[in-house]
Amino acid sequence: MSQPHRRQAGGHIDRARRLAFTFDGRRFEGHPGDTLASALLANGVRLVGRSFKYHRPRGIFSAGVEEPNALVELREGARREPNTRATVVELFDGLVAGSQNRRGSLAFDWMAAAGLLAPWLGAGFYYKTFMWPAAWWERVYEPMIRRAAGLGHASGMPDPDRYEAAHAHCDVLVVGAGPAGLAAARAAGATGARVILADQDVLLGGDLLNEPGLEAWRHETLSAIAGMPEVTVMPRTTVFGFYDQGVLGAVERVADHVPEPPPHTPRQRAWTIRAREVVLATGAHERLIAFPGNDRPGVMLAGAARGYARRHGVRAGESAVLFATHDGAYDAAFAMAEAGARIVAIVDPRQDSAAMQRAREAGFDIRTGSEVCGTVGLTALRGVSVRGVGAAGRGDAFAADLLMVSGGWNPAVHLASMSGAPLAWDEALLAFVPGAPVQRERSAGACRGVHGIGAAAADGAAAGHAAAEAAGFVAMPAFPLPDAPAADCRPCELWEVKGRGKAFVDLQDDVTAADIRLAHREGFSHIEHAKRYTTHAMGTDQGKTGGIVGAAVLAEARGEPVSRVGLPRFRPYAAPIAWGAMAGEGVGKHFQPTRRTALHGVHEALGAAWLDAGIWKRPAYYPRPADADAWASVLREARAVRERVGICDVSTLGKIMVEGPDAATFLDRVYANTFSTLPIGRARYGLMLRDDGIVFDDGTTSRIGPESWFVTTTTAQAGPVMQHLEFHLASAWPDLDVSLASVTDQWAAIAIAGPRAREVVAAVVQGLDLSNEAFPFMAVADCTAAGVPARLFRISFSGELAYEIAMPAGYATHVWQAAMEAGATHGIEPYGMEALGLLRIEKGHVAGPELNGQTTAQDLGLGRMLKKKGDFIGRVLAQRPGLTDPSRPRLVGLRSVDPARQIRVGSHLVLPGGDGRSQGWITSVTRSVVEPGWIGLGMLREGEARIGSEVLAANPLMGEEVPVRVVSAHMHDPENIRVRA
Amino acid sequence: MLRIPCPHCGARDEAEFAYRGDATVTRPGPDGDIAAFHDYLYARTNPRGWQVEWWQHSAGCRAFLKVLRHTVTHEVRAVANAAETLEVPPA
Amino acid sequence: MSAPEPTHPLAAHAAPGRHGAAGEAPLRVTLPPRDIVQVMARRGRADALAEAARASFGLDLPHAGHAATGKDATAIWIQPGHWLLTAPRGVEGALAARAAAAFAGLAAVADQSHGRITIAIAGPAAHSVLARGCRLDLHPRAFGPGRAAATQIAHVGCLIHQTDAAPVFELTVFATLAEPFFHWLMEAGAGAGVLIE
Repeated sequence: MSQPHRRQAGGHIDRARRLAFTFDGRRFEGHPGDTLASALLANGVRLVGRSFKYHRPRGIFSAGVEEPNALVELREGARREPNTRATVVELFDGLVAGSQNRRGSLAFDWMAAAGLLAPWLGAGFYYKTFMWPAAWWERVYEPMIRRAAGLGHASGMPDPDRYEAAHAHCDVLVVGAGPAGLAAARAAGATGARVILADQDVLLGGDLLNEPGLEAWRHETLSAIAGMPEVTVMPRTTVFGFYDQGVLGAVERVADHVPEPPPHTPRQRAWTIRAREVVLATGAHERLIAFPGNDRPGVMLAGAARGYARRHGVRAGESAVLFATHDGAYDAAFAMAEAGARIVAIVDPRQDSAAMQRAREAGFDIRTGSEVCGTVGLTALRGVSVRGVGAAGRGDAFAADLLMVSGGWNPAVHLASMSGAPLAWDEALLAFVPGAPVQRERSAGACRGVHGIGAAAADGAAAGHAAAEAAGFVAMPAFPLPDAPAADCRPCELWEVKGRGKAFVDLQDDVTAADIRLAHREGFSHIEHAKRYTTHAMGTDQGKTGGIVGAAVLAEARGEPVSRVGLPRFRPYAAPIAWGAMAGEGVGKHFQPTRRTALHGVHEALGAAWLDAGIWKRPAYYPRPADADAWASVLREARAVRERVGICDVSTLGKIMVEGPDAATFLDRVYANTFSTLPIGRARYGLMLRDDGIVFDDGTTSRIGPESWFVTTTTAQAGPVMQHLEFHLASAWPDLDVSLASVTDQWAAIAIAGPRAREVVAAVVQGLDLSNEAFPFMAVADCTAAGVPARLFRISFSGELAYEIAMPAGYATHVWQAAMEAGATHGIEPYGMEALGLLRIEKGHVAGPELNGQTTAQDLGLGRMLKKKGDFIGRVLAQRPGLTDPSRPRLVGLRSVDPARQIRVGSHLVLPGGDGRSQGWITSVTRSVVEPGWIGLGMLREGEARIGSEVLAANPLMGEEVPVRVVSAHMHDPENIRVRA
Repeated sequence: MLRIPCPHCGARDEAEFAYRGDATVTRPGPDGDIAAFHDYLYARTNPRGWQVEWWQHSAGCRAFLKVLRHTVTHEVRAVANAAETLEVPPA
Repeated sequence: MSAPEPTHPLAAHAAPGRHGAAGEAPLRVTLPPRDIVQVMARRGRADALAEAARASFGLDLPHAGHAATGKDATAIWIQPGHWLLTAPRGVEGALAARAAAAFAGLAAVADQSHGRITIAIAGPAAHSVLARGCRLDLHPRAFGPGRAAATQIAHVGCLIHQTDAAPVFELTVFATLAEPFFHWLMEAGAGAGVLIE
C-alpha cells in the first residue's frame, strides 16, 4: 500500500517494517516510529474528526500532547478508549481507530448544520436559549445537547486490563528529555545523585529528534546516562502533577503501544515520585494565531509540520504556506522544502529579520508586513488569503494544502505553576514564564523561555548541576554540549486577525475570539470567569496552544496588557490521564482490604451467608436446606439461643490492653462510669462519651490485675477508640503512666449463650469452678480451654446465660470445634450477626444504630451510669441545656400491633390523628422469637410517658403507616434473671 | 499531598497520618465549665497562614505530633512531639 | 490434652510453588513462624529497661527506625517506648512470660504472637515488588540491614524489617489482614514471578 506523502529516507522511522492499521474502517500502513497521526498524514488522510460544538471538519493540528483536534477512539470492544490524541498514539500492527463526534460519515456530518446555527450558539448559549419551559431542560434540552456536543464514547464495559501503582524516590527528578532535560539528567547523574529522567515520548531527545545533525550528541548523551547506575530513565512517562513537598504524579504507559498487554504486565502504571529537587525541562508548546478559518484541516502548527517532515519522514502537505511572527518558525519552511514540498509563500507581519533574509536567499516568496486573513476549502485546505496587516478586504489568494502557523511559543509552565511558583510575564517572548520557586524546583530550557538546542542544553546542564548540589552532591566536570545556533523566538505581537468567519482561540472547545469578547461584554471579564463562561482552555488540551491567545483577546477587550489578565490557574492533570491508571489496582477485591477473623474458615465450612461489617467479613447467618428463607435461618438460630445454646464468633470486637500504675485513673476519665472500684477478676459495662457529651462507644472492660485491664470496644469503633485513648494520653494527661496495646488480632473470641451454656462451657474449660457462686455474672478468669490458654468472661449480649471465651487466635478453630462437640448433646447451633441483632433488640441492648453520634446517655436510658464525682470526657458538655432537654427523643421498644406487619428502620414515628410531625424514628427492627411479630427499637419524644400507647411508623417512601405499640426497650427478661441464672 | 517529617520516622506521606485539628487548644482541667469546654472544642481561629495542628502518625509510629503548617502554601516548617511547644511565626 | 499447633492465617492461601511469571529470579517468599511480644516502657524506666533487655536478651533496645538482634531474640522499634520482641516460634506464651519476668515493673508486655504474622521476601525483585505498594524509600542509601519501619502497604499496616543486604525483608502484618496483604504481594510479585517456599 502506498504512503504517498512519505519521504524516501530520513527520520526515526523503520521503513523496513510495515504496520497495518485501520481508520474509520479503511486499511492503511505505517512503520515503527510512526504515531497514528504521522501514519495518517503519510497516507494522505487530512480529515480526522469533527469539532465539539459546531461539528466543523478538523485535521491534525500538532505533533504532540497539545493536540486539540485529532481526538480518536482507539481500539475496539471493551478496550475502546475515546478521546485519545492521534498525535501521541504509537502505531502498532493491528491498530484500529475511528473518528468521533460525527453523525453519518466523517466527510458529510449531518450535525455540521450546527455550524449554520452558529450565530445563535455563542458562548453561554444554552444558559440563555434553553430556559423555557424549565421542565424541558432535563428531558429534552440536555439529552439533545449531550448527543450533539461531546467527544468519543467509552466502551461501557469493564476494562479488561490491569493498572498498577508504584512509588519512587530520587534526589533529582528531571521532567522532560529534550536537550535541556538530557543535559540536566547527565549533569545531575554524574554527581552520583539518584536521578529519574521521565519523558512522555518513547524516544528521548525532544527537539533533537528533528535535528539529524545532532544525532551523535543525543546518542552519546543517552549512552552516558545509561551508564550511570543511579539514573533511572522512564520513557513513555507523563508527569502530570506537582503536589506538595516535592511529590509528583506520573503515568507510565507500559503497554499502550501493543494491542493488549502481555501476561503479568499492566497497561499503565501510576507513579508517585518523591523528589528532593526537581528540574522541569518540559519545553514549550507552539502558539496558534486566531484568524478566520484557522481550524480547517491543513492548518497546522509550524513546528509540527517540521517534526513530521524530519522525525517521521512525512510531508503534511505538498504546497505549504508559513504564517509566522518570529524567526524560530522559519526552519519549518526549510524542513518542508527538504522533504520535497513546495513553499508557496511565507507570511510574516514583520518587515525584516535574519530568518527572512535566509529564506529570501533560499528563494522563498516572503510576504512581509502581512497576515493570513482567511482559508479556503471544505474538509481540506485548498487556499489561503493574505493581506497587509490590519488591512480591510479579503486579500490575495494562494493555493496551498498546508498552512503552517506559529504565533510564538508558550513555555510549558504547568508543573511549575502547580508547584506554587507564580508566573512572570516575559515581554520579549510575549509569554508567561515561571517565577521564583516556592518548592525545591527549577525550570530549564524552553519551559522558561530559553530557546535553541544549544542554549537549552546549557541551561539544562546548569540546572542539573545546581539541583544535584542542592541535594547535597558535588558537581562534576562539564561535558560537551551540542553546538547549535540559537533560535530567535521573540515574536511580534499578533494574537488575532479580525475578519469574517470564525477565528478560534480554542479549537477543541470551539471557542472563538468573538466568544471571549462576548464573555467580557456580559461581565465575565476575569480570566477565570471568562474560562468558565466560554469553556476556553477547558478541553483535554487545557489550552496549551491557544490559552494565552484567548487571554490576549480578553486583554484587548478590557483595554489592559495581557500580563494583567494572566492565565487561569494550572491544576493537575497537565495532560490527559486514563482513570484506570488513577484507580490502579484499587478496584474489585483491592478497593479495600477484607478483614477475616481466625474463624473465617469455620464459617466458610458451615456455608455462612456473609455480611460486611466495615471491612470485616462476618457470618450473617448459616442457611440450612430446610430453611425456607433467610428469616427461617435467623429465627432458628435465635431460638436455639433462647431455648438451648448457641455459639457465635465475636472476634471482631476491638480489644485493647491498658496497663500501668495510672490505668485505673485513666479509665475513670475516659469512661463515663467508674472503673477504679472494679475488683480484679470482674468485668463491667462501660460507656464512653465524646467531649461534646454525645455517646462515643460502649463495651465490657475487665480488670485482669491491679494495673492491668482488658478493654473491649464495638467492632466499628475499635480504631477510633484507640486513637481517642492515645490522643488524650498525649495531649490532655501526659502525666499518666499508662501503656496501650491493641490486641484485637491476638485474641479471637467465641460467645456461648443460652440456658445450656454452662454445661457446654464446663465441658470445654478446665480449671474453673463455673457455679453461679464461684463464677457469677460479670466474672472474668484466665483458664485453659480445650487444652489451650484462654480467658473466660461471663458476659451476655443476648440476654441469656452466656460466656465469652477468648483465646490466642491461632487456637480459635480448635476451641470452636471443642465447643461444638461439647454442645452437640445440648443442641448447640452457630448463630450469625442477624440472630445476634435479633437477640440484642429483644433485650434492648443498644448498638451502632442507636450509638449514632447524636444520642446522649440519657437519650439511651443510660443516664444513671454517669458518675457524679470526678472528671470524665464528656461530663461538662453533656450538661448543656440542649442535651439535657427532657423532651429529647428517648430509647423505647416498639412492637407492630399486627404482628405480621413489617416495620422498617428509618420510619418516622408520628401520633395517630396528630399533625403528622415526626416524634422520633425507628433505629433497629427484627422479628421476635420470644413473642412472634415485628419489633424494634426507636427514639421517641416523651418516650417513657408513651409506653403502652400506640403510634404510627410512617414510611412515605414505601407508602406505609404501620401502627406500633410503644413498650419498654427491655422486651425480654427485664429483671435480668436469665443472665444471672 | 503533604510530606510530613515525623521526628521518629523521617519524612512520610500524608496518607500515613490522621489529622486531628488545632493543637493550640488545651483541654480544660476538672474545673472547666461549659464555656471553657465550648472554646476547647469549637472555637477556632482558622488562620490564613501558620497553624499548629495535631497529626497522628497513625500508620507509622502512632505518635501524636504537632505540625506547623501554612494553610495557604502547605509548607510544613516544624514538627514536634506532643509535649513540646511550637512557636507560630507571623503570617 | 497437649496444645495443638496454631492455625496460620495464610495456611489456605500460601501453597508452596511458583506463581505469576516464570522469571529466572522470582521473589522468594517464606512464612517464618515467630513469637512476637509487644514491650511498652513504663514512664521514666527507660534506662532500667535497656539494662534488663541487655541482661535477659543480650540486645540493646534499638532507636527509632532500627532493629537489634541479641542471642536469641530480635527487638524492633515500633513506636516511642514500644518494641516488638521476636524470636523463632517456641512454647506458647513462653517468650511473653520471659519478657514479663525480665521487664517486671519496667514495661508492660503484650503477647502478639497470634496477632501478627511475618512474611519474609528475598531476591533481587524484592525492591521493585515492594515499590508497588510501599511508600518508603528502601534504596540502600536510605535503608538497609538492621533498619525497620512501620508503614502501610495496600491499606494494611506493615512493619518492614530488612534482615539482609541480599536483600531480605521481613514484613510483619496484622493476622486478620494477612490474607488481603498476601494477595497483594502475589499480584505485585506476579511480573517477576513468585516462589513460595
